[in-house]
Amino acid sequence: MWKGFTHLLKKDLKMMLSGKFFLLALFSLVLYSCYINLVYVNLEQEDYQVYLFDPHGASARQDAPSGQNEHVTDVGSRQELENACADGVSIGIDLSAGTPEIYMLSSGTQTADHYRTEWGKAVLTKIMDEKAVLSETTDHEVEIIGAFDKEQKSRREITCEFLFFELSAVGFLGLASILFKEKQMGVIRVHGILPVHKAAFILSKLCVFLLSDLFFAILLTFINIGFGEGLAILPGILAQAGILSLVMALVGFLCAVWLPDFKQFSLFYLVLAVFITTPVFLAGQTGVSWDWIIFHPMYHLFTAMKSAYFGVATTSFPFYSICAGTTALLFYIAYRVLAREMTKEG
Amino acid sequence: MRRIMKRLTYQLKNLRKDKLCLLTFLLPIVVGIVINVLPTMNTQTLGEMSFGCVKSDLPAKTVRWLRENGTLTEYGTLGELETAVNDPATQMIGVLRSENGIRTLLSGDELKLYETTGKTLPRLYDNRMNKIAFSQTIVPIRSNYDGLKSLLIVITLVTAMFMGCTFNSMNIIGEKEDGVALVNQILPMGTGDYILQKLTLGFIGGCASTAICAFLCIRIAPAQIPPLFLLIVLSAYTASLIGLFIGYFSSGLMTGIVYIKILMILFLAPPIIFYLVVPTDNVVFPLSYLFPSSAAFYGLMDVLGGQAHRPWLNLAILAGHAGLLSGIYFLIMAKKRKRQ
Repeated sequence: MWKGFTHLLKKDLKMMLSGKFFLLALFSLVLYSCYINLVYVNLEQEDYQVYLFDPHGASARQDAPSGQNEHVTDVGSRQELENACADGVSIGIDLSAGTPEIYMLSSGTQTADHYRTEWGKAVLTKIMDEKAVLSETTDHEVEIIGAFDKEQKSRREITCEFLFFELSAVGFLGLASILFKEKQMGVIRVHGILPVHKAAFILSKLCVFLLSDLFFAILLTFINIGFGEGLAILPGILAQAGILSLVMALVGFLCAVWLPDFKQFSLFYLVLAVFITTPVFLAGQTGVSWDWIIFHPMYHLFTAMKSAYFGVATTSFPFYSICAGTTALLFYIAYRVLAREMTKEG
Repeated sequence: MRRIMKRLTYQLKNLRKDKLCLLTFLLPIVVGIVINVLPTMNTQTLGEMSFGCVKSDLPAKTVRWLRENGTLTEYGTLGELETAVNDPATQMIGVLRSENGIRTLLSGDELKLYETTGKTLPRLYDNRMNKIAFSQTIVPIRSNYDGLKSLLIVITLVTAMFMGCTFNSMNIIGEKEDGVALVNQILPMGTGDYILQKLTLGFIGGCASTAICAFLCIRIAPAQIPPLFLLIVLSAYTASLIGLFIGYFSSGLMTGIVYIKILMILFLAPPIIFYLVVPTDNVVFPLSYLFPSSAAFYGLMDVLGGQAHRPWLNLAILAGHAGLLSGIYFLIMAKKRKRQ
């Protein structure tokens, strides 16, 4: 039995190698890491820019000392002021007439416009009354309660999302493509008469994909979060990655056995990618809240993965028991479907 | 002429049986409908400040002031508020009462704008009573689409346009696998005829899918319709050409699907990233025009934003891509014929 199993493992590994699966994984690893390190960590939303048109030199403005939050830029004419404010974010102050004027292009939201007006008014107060409204507040007025700074947060957040995507979408596709190849070659038919247990056929595939997924998770985490910080959260991440990998591999296995050809499978895959993962990403990334999202099973897997990345322990017994139950159930169904397929093939 | 029509109807019938193509055709339309239903998902809140407070902690006038400047969510306890502020997905600023005003809670991982807001909010709040004489002009925005929604619409439309390549490439690959391609070689049908048919197939598919999707999602001024029409036609033509390339280069269905996937990622990701991250006057920005989808993307953004003058640049670039690709394809075909 065990000898047969190791042979199966070896065969699956070879299949993965010949299917260029590892090459694809390496390619995505490089792509994700480049994106995270070169693009994502640099994303920033800057403070409001204020443009000042002051032809008479009415303001007794000195150059703002450091630590101040006004970003005031002088412009030469009204036209220049309007052009500078065309982005719908910047605020213009026109001192050419008797009363100062706050000019801006609406951002499309009333509250945001109101807030920008308040901001403009604060800068105006500084100019007219030389009272610095926007200087930093003292410590007892602001309390920082989080454990991470912006860069750490962005790295953890995006690494978690990429890992989730890679495991749920790409891992699923990988197992299915191998199985389709085997189906084409008639491997399933041959297995019907071999003295190897059917469960071993499924298990060996699961093992290979689980190991490669875990390895991918480790590399992705270390490269993008750093060795020290990554090591501290690694156990939680591996647990979640293991669960996700097993569930997705089993679903991929089921679909690949059920559906007759790869074309139909890729159809199904498209539906899965668009309608199942997109809402999860939207809910996870933007904080948009839908009430129905709690009925979305993938959402729970995603939040669990995310809490693992942020080092929040979510050791809840119901969650793990449901995951274990689902995995066992999927395994059982996969086993039955495979058995049926083998009898059908003769 | 009638012969061409007859052949084309046959091809389209063949395409209809293909579920992958049918889905590719319907997907943008379905997404278009979803986007139209979406307004209930408050995309508006994305540009706003989001504040959180503990229930019945702040005086009514503070609550009113916060509601004027952003959205305010009330939490039962301080612990719940702290969890919400710490949630990495949000940029929420916690607001608490202090002796003579307010104090704020930040998680420390906010983007710069929100961090500054959190740090200056108590001062800004004090300043609200400051009577200072000023007049105010807020110019309303011209288009009635907010940023995220128009971005979603444009992404869907560009996907629909360039998914046009699926129709003919799948058709060509299917024929290759069934052996029809070999039969075609001994039939008295010219290469030109063949190319024209396949090109029209992808073109019609892409155009129809995009046009229906555009009809569902976009409401624009009549003056914007010609540029939109030209954008759709040119992109569908380019996509159809690319479909010919994919059909020519891929040996089997699997490789074809992989090519299409890689192509869609290559075509969709750069314009979105460039649009969101790189300012238009940056030196790197013109690099994104290496992909035909970028021109289509920026063109559509301009059409939705109501700017009429700029689509012409994008249209010209798109036309350039179409011309260049046609040239390359005909060169390959000519070489192939010579070899035969």
